[in-house]
Amino acid sequence: MNAIHSIAGRLAAMFALAALLVLSILAYILDRELATVLERQQVEQLDTKFKDIDYVLKRLRGPEQWERIHAKLDALTPPDRSTQYWILSDDPQIRYGNALAEIVSISQDASSVGELRIGGRAEPMLIRNDYFPADERHAALRFIVGVDSEPYARTRRAFRTVMLASVSGGVLLVALIGYLITHWGLVPLKRLSREAHALSPSMLSQRLVTAQLPAELSDLAQSFNGALDRLEAAYQQLESFNADVTHDLRTPLTNLIGHTQVALSRERSVPQLVEVLQSNLEDMERLRGIVNDMLFLARANQGERPQQLLRTSLAAEVHKAIEFLDFLLEEAQVHVRVQGDAQAPIERSLFCRAVTNLLHNAIRHSPPGSEIVVELAAAEDHARVTVSNPGPAIPAEHLGRLFDRFYRVDASRTNSGESHGLGLAIVKAVAAMHAGNVSATSRGGITTVGFSVLLDAQDSA
Amino acid sequence: MKVLVVEDELKIADYLYKGLTEQGCSVDLAHDGLDGQHLALEVDYDVIVLDQMLPGLDGLALLKSLRTAKDTPVIMLTARDRIEDRVKGLRAGADDYLVKPFSFMELLARLQALTRRGRKQEATELHVGDLVIDLLARKASRNDRRIDLTAKEFALLSVLARHQGQILSKTAIAEMVWDVNFDTNANVVEVAIKRLRAKIDAPFKTGLLHTVRGMGYVLEERPAP
Repeated sequence: MNAIHSIAGRLAAMFALAALLVLSILAYILDRELATVLERQQVEQLDTKFKDIDYVLKRLRGPEQWERIHAKLDALTPPDRSTQYWILSDDPQIRYGNALAEIVSISQDASSVGELRIGGRAEPMLIRNDYFPADERHAALRFIVGVDSEPYARTRRAFRTVMLASVSGGVLLVALIGYLITHWGLVPLKRLSREAHALSPSMLSQRLVTAQLPAELSDLAQSFNGALDRLEAAYQQLESFNADVTHDLRTPLTNLIGHTQVALSRERSVPQLVEVLQSNLEDMERLRGIVNDMLFLARANQGERPQQLLRTSLAAEVHKAIEFLDFLLEEAQVHVRVQGDAQAPIERSLFCRAVTNLLHNAIRHSPPGSEIVVELAAAEDHARVTVSNPGPAIPAEHLGRLFDRFYRVDASRTNSGESHGLGLAIVKAVAAMHAGNVSATSRGGITTVGFSVLLDAQDSA
Repeated sequence: MKVLVVEDELKIADYLYKGLTEQGCSVDLAHDGLDGQHLALEVDYDVIVLDQMLPGLDGLALLKSLRTAKDTPVIMLTARDRIEDRVKGLRAGADDYLVKPFSFMELLARLQALTRRGRKQEATELHVGDLVIDLLARKASRNDRRIDLTAKEFALLSVLARHQGQILSKTAIAEMVWDVNFDTNANVVEVAIKRLRAKIDAPFKTGLLHTVRGMGYVLEERPAP
């Protein structure tokens, strides 16, 4: 697995970055602190040396004592010359130290503490420079002490090396530990992944084991199982749908083959042959109807949208459908009442087809003398059409499946000639094409089936 | 009517040839796009039946090349029923569109509709045997006996009478009478025909409104058997 794309690798890198950041800040702070402390120490060292001389100068009895002072300064100067003394004065008797150009140049200034870079040395010297005015004991003089900062610089260099090493080591260690921790923490995920790998279409009811998973993964596994549930349901629906469609196609095909074979097995008169052809034609028309409706549903399922949406009165379209079904309504002695209206962008022939199917469905299930009520209402962003008719109660388990293709509440009615069980599936498809949905209820002897269409066509485009 | 059928499916081409010839059309057949293109450009047809998927040169390309030269009405046949296909066909200049599986009756009706353009003025009174239909007064009578019809019954009768002698499918009737252009399971046309028959045929000796099983209905005077 590519380390950059593995969670463990990425987390380890992120841990390392975090460690680098924190340790670097710490190292910086420590380094600054060390520098301050060292500087103070240097100044203190300088002050101590200076005080010695100051003391000597204050106790000076006469010019003859300069020899002793020079000897003392010689003694104080270590062999590596890390501490150096200079006395500058117009009186040659007082002068001490080889007067380097750099020293002479600073001597013009007033008393000061500062750094001075002296040729031949890697590090600058810390210099204290004081002026003593002439008095009865000696001429005006300038006393300078220099302390080499090399040992301090060395300390800082050593400190920096150690810090650099420990920061890098720390970062690497954190990355390694981070990697191991993540690896260990991801063990349940690996297990989950192995389980998911083992899922196969032949064992649809298989699910991921969620019992021992940490909370974060448990959620994921449960959602995944939920998706599997839905897939299984869809798969089973598809399978039963296949069985249904095969059944619905098989009946007319059997008729066709049977009738034709029987007809051809004997010498037949022309009227008899005509009779067979006519019967065949009826079955073939039925097949054509099923195939056309299936094609329509397939297109709707593939997300086909209506091409010509026209904002229009839904009640007007419902009245058109009622006019078409008028003869059937009279035959069934059923009356239709339309309540309300709504304006919505629809493709009229699709909408009319859906309403016709709903009404036809209602007519077939209404007892003579009853009334079918079509209600139209706009609510929020959808306009809803519902068709209610008195009729036998439909058990709840059937209600949700009414819109499935080839689904029939009464299984014994599967071969009721004209109806092939796609009517409500087409209603659902039309609703989907208008970004709407379908609903069905059965309460108090009234069956209500309806669908909705989106009010604002812009959203559905 | 002179018709060119461009269709590579032999069985379909065969029955179209037979069916159209029997309807009195003079039919030429082409089994691939190039033959079809040649005939369509060389011969003047009243209407062309053109399959969309053809070997050699596909239907759309044929149609495009035809439209650069001629305005012969074209009805496209297609097995693909997607709106894009339909739009593509109509854009390329097709006059009508039929999706397979289609019924022969429907094809015939569409062909007649395509060639009817610029036909003679509609009559205001139609006669079928002793049945008289006054289209202006919207009245029908038989043997001088007035027949009371509802508006829809009259619309149905006048559609049948306009196409007298011609078999009309249920789909065609639904479209012409109710302007319903979708398939439905509702047996509205059967019921309507039954009611119309009860009014125009039942009280009289001879029937004029006949059922052609599996095909549709025809209004015509048939010699007594």
